[in-house]
Amino acid sequence: MAWRTAIGTIAVVITSIVTAFWLINEPARMAAAEEGFEGRSIEAGAYIYDNNCTRCHGPKGEGLPGLAPGLNIPEMFDGTRLAEVGWAGSLHDFIYSTTSGGRPLPSAGTTYPLRMPTWSREFGGPLRMDQVRDLTNFMLNWGQAYEPGAAPKAPEVAVVPVDSVGTDLTTPELPPGDTTAGEELATALGCTACHTLTDVGPTWLSEADPNGEGIGARAAARIGASDYSGTAATAEQYLRESIVLPDAFVVDGYPPSTMVMNYGEQLDAQNVGDLIAYMMTLR
Amino acid sequence: MTAEAVGAAPPLSRREFLYYLWGASMALFMAEMGGALVWFSFPRFKEGEFGGIITVPIADIPAPDAEPKDIPEARIWVVNLGQGRLTDERQPEEYTVKAGIKAMYKICVHLGCLYKWVPTNDRFECPCHGSKFLTTGARIDGPANRNLDAFPFEFVDEQGNVLAKSGLMGSGKTEEGDAVEIPAGAVALCIDTGQRMQGAPNTEPGGGI
Amino acid sequence: MALFQIHIPILDDIKANGLMPTLIAKTDETVTRLTAGLNVGDVRSVLRGDPPKRPNPRTKPHAEAFWMHMRPTYFHKRVMPLYPTFRLGWLSMYFLVIETITGLVLMLWYTPSPLVAFENMLDIMANVPFGLMMRDLHRLGAEFMVMVVLLHMLRTFITGSYKKPRQFTWFSGGVLLLLTLFLSFSGYLLPWDQLSLWAVTIGASMAEATPMIGREVNLLVRGGPDFGTNGLLRFYLLHVFALPLIAFIFVGVHYYKVIIHGHSLPPEDEPVGEDTARKVPMDRRSYFLPDVATKEIYWVAMWTALLILMVTVGNWHAPLEPHADNQVTPLHTTAPWYFLWLQGMLKLGDKVFWGVIAPGILVNLVFVMPYLEVGPSRRYIHRRVGLTIAAVSVVAFSALTYMGTPFYAVSSSADQEVVAALVPQTHPGPLRSTPFEQLPAGQYAAAQWKSAPTAGLREILELYEHELHKYGDELPDSEGMMIVEDWQVGLKKVTLRVLWNSGEDTFEQNVFLHQASGYGE
Repeated sequence: MAWRTAIGTIAVVITSIVTAFWLINEPARMAAAEEGFEGRSIEAGAYIYDNNCTRCHGPKGEGLPGLAPGLNIPEMFDGTRLAEVGWAGSLHDFIYSTTSGGRPLPSAGTTYPLRMPTWSREFGGPLRMDQVRDLTNFMLNWGQAYEPGAAPKAPEVAVVPVDSVGTDLTTPELPPGDTTAGEELATALGCTACHTLTDVGPTWLSEADPNGEGIGARAAARIGASDYSGTAATAEQYLRESIVLPDAFVVDGYPPSTMVMNYGEQLDAQNVGDLIAYMMTLR
Repeated sequence: MTAEAVGAAPPLSRREFLYYLWGASMALFMAEMGGALVWFSFPRFKEGEFGGIITVPIADIPAPDAEPKDIPEARIWVVNLGQGRLTDERQPEEYTVKAGIKAMYKICVHLGCLYKWVPTNDRFECPCHGSKFLTTGARIDGPANRNLDAFPFEFVDEQGNVLAKSGLMGSGKTEEGDAVEIPAGAVALCIDTGQRMQGAPNTEPGGGI
Repeated sequence: MALFQIHIPILDDIKANGLMPTLIAKTDETVTRLTAGLNVGDVRSVLRGDPPKRPNPRTKPHAEAFWMHMRPTYFHKRVMPLYPTFRLGWLSMYFLVIETITGLVLMLWYTPSPLVAFENMLDIMANVPFGLMMRDLHRLGAEFMVMVVLLHMLRTFITGSYKKPRQFTWFSGGVLLLLTLFLSFSGYLLPWDQLSLWAVTIGASMAEATPMIGREVNLLVRGGPDFGTNGLLRFYLLHVFALPLIAFIFVGVHYYKVIIHGHSLPPEDEPVGEDTARKVPMDRRSYFLPDVATKEIYWVAMWTALLILMVTVGNWHAPLEPHADNQVTPLHTTAPWYFLWLQGMLKLGDKVFWGVIAPGILVNLVFVMPYLEVGPSRRYIHRRVGLTIAAVSVVAFSALTYMGTPFYAVSSSADQEVVAALVPQTHPGPLRSTPFEQLPAGQYAAAQWKSAPTAGLREILELYEHELHKYGDELPDSEGMMIVEDWQVGLKKVTLRVLWNSGEDTFEQNVFLHQASGYGE
């Protein structure tokens, strides 16, 4: 019987010692666990972003010009964006509230044609509040790249060319266009945002056109129409004019001054040639 | 119960001793568990919530002698004592007054209501039982029995270095929370709402000890 | 002269006898009151192992004290060793106590609302000192308890201890088994992660299969068509209040019956047909004080040490999957292990018969078995039929349990199974457990696993290749790609792509890995 007393005492002492070590280690373990859960939240947020937000904000948060602003930009994290919209609270709350409630009205100084939908279930969206929190943590994590000492992460944006094509319809002469490059450029610049994905601008695709004609087919007919107010002489020139001088002629039923005005500066001759070549294939 | 049963106590046997040892180890383990459970049960305060450290930008601090500023999430009134307040004739003489900032706890020291700032009378007044206090925290009327409680605070600069911190002023019976002037280069006031400094005793009618 | 005098008796004693003698006498009196009859001398005599005085004062606590009245004054020496009981009844009670204590403690930090339950779990595990240990102990204790209760039932059957006059003891034990299972089941839902929600949904969907009133039963159980705010609250109330209350009542009934009939002896020790357990001869008694009490405290010390060592040094931790999502059922979701046999039965055919009627009949048979099986002998040689049935039941239970797992019958397409082997949807799995630094950015082919730059990559890619071969029939000419990209500071994106039919068919899945997420630990 006495051996039970002895072994029992040893067992209790060992348990006490192990527990004491555990307790001493608790603050460190809790801090590591907290970081771990934050990491998992970022992982979950990344997945949600990948499945819901890339369509408008780009796969790495660079934004799509004309469609949606960039999120993975230094202005988001250095206070510029907050000042622009006049937000008085924290960056976390700005991101959380915008994601939850969307943008029923455009935010200060922007002219995006589409409204951002609501995402939180509180406002009829598809995401739970913990998912919006995860998304917010993911987006805040982009900020780490902009801190001093972190590896700089330049988001992929269309490179500003040295040789702008200008707004003249004939000079410089456009080189032969590559339709594949043109299609890629149209997506990267966000043309598809208004002209194929949505009906903000006249559709390029024949399937969506009331007369079953794609932009390539319509371009020639347009210049002959009586209400045409531009100066293009050929279908290609018409397309060129639509890109570099959007307000020269606006198709009936669409508001003027909606399309990006400075493609003439942003793009070079090859870009425009590629775009026109691509558009001409859409009949 | 009788003396005879207790008087003829046999000496400690080894087996008995082992039981006592075991009992002692179990008592120690239970004490350890008890301590762990108490630690488990305490609420933990994160920064920014009441009970932890709350940061107030300098821009939100009122000018000297201006009206106190309400910081609801910290549950305090921030007061900036300038010369006008120091020479207020209602101030009881016993208490030390210095120029500077104080962070007064919004809860009345009498029975826990929230006192209000009454501009017309230029003092704090509690609606529950009528205690009245100056911006220095000194009680000048009512059933409260001490001056207002305050929280310790620090001034920090942009890098987070502590430029000045509050302590205690007065001594003995009149010891209470300190007022500190805003140092140059300070960008924020960090108030530790987890520690509370009680006001000095104040029981005389009209204020004083 | 005062109207009344204050009379303090202890002062009289001190005046009469002196301070020390009075204190000693008072201590003696206190100890006698606390132990309901043993003074200091008696207590010491117990601890020294001396033979008791005549009349034996050590029976007094059992006769006169509340806490001790249900514990017997003595047990028969033949039921004290490991055989025949394996102490499983005692152990079941031990785990009930452990679960109650750890459960009460956890209640301090948990709110049963889908909006905060999961966050409360994260809080308990990362922001409450001791919280992880309490949670792990609670979960480990629950797993042990279900196993121990089942083994206790098996033992009681094998030794024939359910026979007359102990039929109702068995019956009340059956009730306790059901309560244990439902306590475990209801608790399973509370963390509100994917495992909780779907495992309990699978189990509760049995309610819907009830004939005729299935829809109503389901609404009552879940408080809605599926689990949400109402369901969580109902299961919480069941788990912390209703079921424990009924359990404590039935433990009282069950234990009382055990003691009142006397603990059944090993079958070989009793003449056939007689129940001699009540009359224990003097020389066969193992007294509670000190023998049984010492042994019980010893077992408490050993089992508590085991549990605490398992959750600390042994690194046993209760799992926590991502937040419950009622739009997504993870691949390979399973019910808790003790309900897998039901899931296995469901795979045999119609869910009303195999899910409700057959289990219902079986459970009822188990309850009333002692009233049907009335053979007089408890000896093993006389109970060949019964013991065979027990053996067959154990085998059937195991087989049905295996059939209830998702691995019996492939549940998804081969391409998804391959990827699920690397990134399972019910637990972290091999890819998430690979250390972050061992996944450098780049494109890797599973077939070239040998030339992968790090050990972690080699392991993962080798597993990938192995899985592709396993499904070689369904995925001819297959190729596995794994692309790792640096996505954010501290975050990597891993794309797993399976190509087969020489690249004609593809399947792709992404997973994001953060350096701090700590799955491997």
